Amino acid sequence: MGPMKEDTTAPVKTGPRRPEGGTTLIVLVGLAIALLLSTALLNELRSGALLSETTLLYATLLFYVGAAALYLGFGVRGTEGYLRWASISTWLGLAANTAVVARHWYQAGHPPLTNLYETLLSFVWAVAVLTVVAERRYGVRVIGMITMPLAIAGVVLMEQLRTEVHPLSPLLQSNWLQVHVTLAILAYAACAVSFALAIMFLIQDRVETRTFLAIASAGTLAIYASIVVASVEKWGGLAGTGWAEIAIGHGLRLKAPLALLSWSMMAALAVVATPAVCCALGYRNWSERLVAVANRSLLAGILLQGLSLAVLLRLTGPSAAAGSGWLPTALGSSPFVLTGLVSSLLIAVFFLVLAWRRTELERLLPAAELLDRVTYRTICLAFPLLTLTIATGAYWANQAWGSYWSWDPKETWAVITWLVYALYLHMRITVGWRGRRAAYFAIAGFAVVIFTFFGVSYLLRGMHAFL
Amino acid sequence: MGTGTYAFVRKIWRIAAAIETGVVLLMLVVILSALGTIVLQRPATRPDEMERSYSPFVLRILDLTRLTDVYHSWWFLGLLLLVSICIVAASLDRLPSRWRYLARPYKYPEEGFRRTLHPQRTVELAPEAGVSEQTAMAAAERALTARGYRPQRVAQAGQTGLFAERNRLSQLAVYVVHLSLLLIFLGTMVDGLLGWRGILTLHPGETASAVRLGDGAWRDLGFMLRSEGAGQEHYPDGTLKQVWTNVTLIEDGRAAGQSRILINAPLVYRHVRIYQSHAGANGEELEVAHQPGLWIVWIGVVVMGIGLLFVFYLVHVRMWVVPVRCAKTGKLSLWMGGSVNRHRDGFEPRFNELARSIEEELKCTTATAPDKGVSTPEIRQAE
Repeated sequence: MGPMKEDTTAPVKTGPRRPEGGTTLIVLVGLAIALLLSTALLNELRSGALLSETTLLYATLLFYVGAAALYLGFGVRGTEGYLRWASISTWLGLAANTAVVARHWYQAGHPPLTNLYETLLSFVWAVAVLTVVAERRYGVRVIGMITMPLAIAGVVLMEQLRTEVHPLSPLLQSNWLQVHVTLAILAYAACAVSFALAIMFLIQDRVETRTFLAIASAGTLAIYASIVVASVEKWGGLAGTGWAEIAIGHGLRLKAPLALLSWSMMAALAVVATPAVCCALGYRNWSERLVAVANRSLLAGILLQGLSLAVLLRLTGPSAAAGSGWLPTALGSSPFVLTGLVSSLLIAVFFLVLAWRRTELERLLPAAELLDRVTYRTICLAFPLLTLTIATGAYWANQAWGSYWSWDPKETWAVITWLVYALYLHMRITVGWRGRRAAYFAIAGFAVVIFTFFGVSYLLRGMHAFL
Repeated sequence: MGTGTYAFVRKIWRIAAAIETGVVLLMLVVILSALGTIVLQRPATRPDEMERSYSPFVLRILDLTRLTDVYHSWWFLGLLLLVSICIVAASLDRLPSRWRYLARPYKYPEEGFRRTLHPQRTVELAPEAGVSEQTAMAAAERALTARGYRPQRVAQAGQTGLFAERNRLSQLAVYVVHLSLLLIFLGTMVDGLLGWRGILTLHPGETASAVRLGDGAWRDLGFMLRSEGAGQEHYPDGTLKQVWTNVTLIEDGRAAGQSRILINAPLVYRHVRIYQSHAGANGEELEVAHQPGLWIVWIGVVVMGIGLLFVFYLVHVRMWVVPVRCAKTGKLSLWMGGSVNRHRDGFEPRFNELARSIEEELKCTTATAPDKGVSTPEIRQAE
């Protein structure tokens, strides 16, 4: 843990001012979450099964959300008791998660590694495991603040991908498959942890809060952009999956979600982009007015994003239901859209924790240098795993379809991820990059991992399409 | 003209061997590969779909720039060639100094070296109390040996010191990784130039040996396959479980063996690999691949695995122990220092533990700070 730090730069100044007790926003967010979860609970009780996989998954989500909410509570109140309870909630979530894995494994007859739902399940489990390991063994108690939102986004996405357990197609009946996917999940989980550590390093390295605002805004923009881009089908190779189509002339076809979300999402997009724009404008000269605009648009952005989410859920609600899961959504709405919205909301909300409780966070986190080194060590673990993932994938591909390398988008992006982390290692070892530059690189690397994991399945096509 | 050309060649070599060049080239590979996943690629996408997705003008430009077949375009392959050349240049460029470092280990630490090395410890000796140079050296030798080192006595300019090192080969680890990359490139190149793939249509009861390649040409296997029947198995819910073909291999008119070819279980015979195609109905279609460079690729992969293991987990450790007499005070002390080429943070506690145990054995006063007050480590070239 780091020594007591004298906060001389008052970084809170460039974030939104902490409201009195922070009640209003927290109450709103809490109510929204409660609404979502009670909808799920009602659905579940209606179906009757008590210890089914769905119930267990719902319990997992409940505990992860609880942990995230407790971290948020820490953000408002600042007392360490919240952290202790957050940790307990994480452990409970991990227990429930393990139960889901075990149950699915038992029912399917093979480990959960053969489609996107199962892969996500294992990935979320691995992230939770690494979180408690980091907390227990390395004393990094607030890593959950970043990994729990990741886990939540994963479970939200998973719940919408719920399919019946299918027997394995001939192509997937291979031990090499299990080895390959396990390695991939471990590698991605390690990259996720390095991402969390890099962010915590930036916090400890006194990076200004407004830079975090810019990063958060850019991240949210990227999510929204990918939703918008994937909604326009005519752009060559980009394709979404299973969406209803609406022609808007000149051969352009929009996917249903965009039409559904329309004005609310466009408004949210505009507001969400504002802090990033402010940062670009204020790069050299960060005036008070720009700060105020950025802060207000962040808060407004949270509200608008919540609104978009509500609109989406309302418009794709039970009346147009098809498919299983606790939140039946119409086939016309992609699960990635919902997950994307939830993720951006989580990013914005957790930025607030940073803005309000920067000093306490800096006290609770280990020293910057230690975080820098552990980030490097984590990537030293992730890189060989990535290499082995690609190697076993190539070997299995050769057994399955006679070609160890076909420049399939998933394969290509796996290599791109590998190259990015190879570049990180080169920059670090040979050029001597440390600290901030290395941390930014690690964050960029994880963005590539996310694209390789989801972006390829969501936006691109290829032989890996069954994943 | 001679010197002009020489200088020019030297300049090119410098650029090729520079890390910045490597970085730029790698980033180009990343960007161009990514482009290939976004733009629809020709062999895989049907022509009518290509025409549906792009306007004729855009499609013409994409075709002209070969963006519709990035991974086989001359500029992409040329880029990969450049990357290989840079890897070779960068490795060779650093090889002489690396080799010197390896071949002539630095066994006796000079004063200047001792001053700035980190970590280090100096322990005062008390010859009057019986703790002489010899006792101290012996104690250090024992401590080093106990921890798995093999200390050797080094003499220089009348002084004697101890030197111990481990895993000197770790310095070559990076070369192993780069070599493996080159091997993999070589393997894929061999496959690309000399390999081929095609389809063998085999109806039950029939014999065939001709493979139809992708470009329409025919290739004879050199032996014959006779289908003894094909089959399919389904799950209770109707989905496909497995497809197979039973074949007999016939060479020179005689049966040479039998085999069942399944999905995920190809038949490997002579110079080809024969796969059960998923597209073929009732197991009538077999895919055949000739991959002469395959073994090169796998060797490259294994070498890379070993190389990465060396890079991340094999650390070159060096330890020096020398008795030092201070010129001013005449005091005798034992100087200990260590150096690693990687993972310094993990090494420091181990060094401190070793130094402490030697110290305790000599029962002397605790360590004094190193000369010139070097308290925080400089960021050295090692990680």
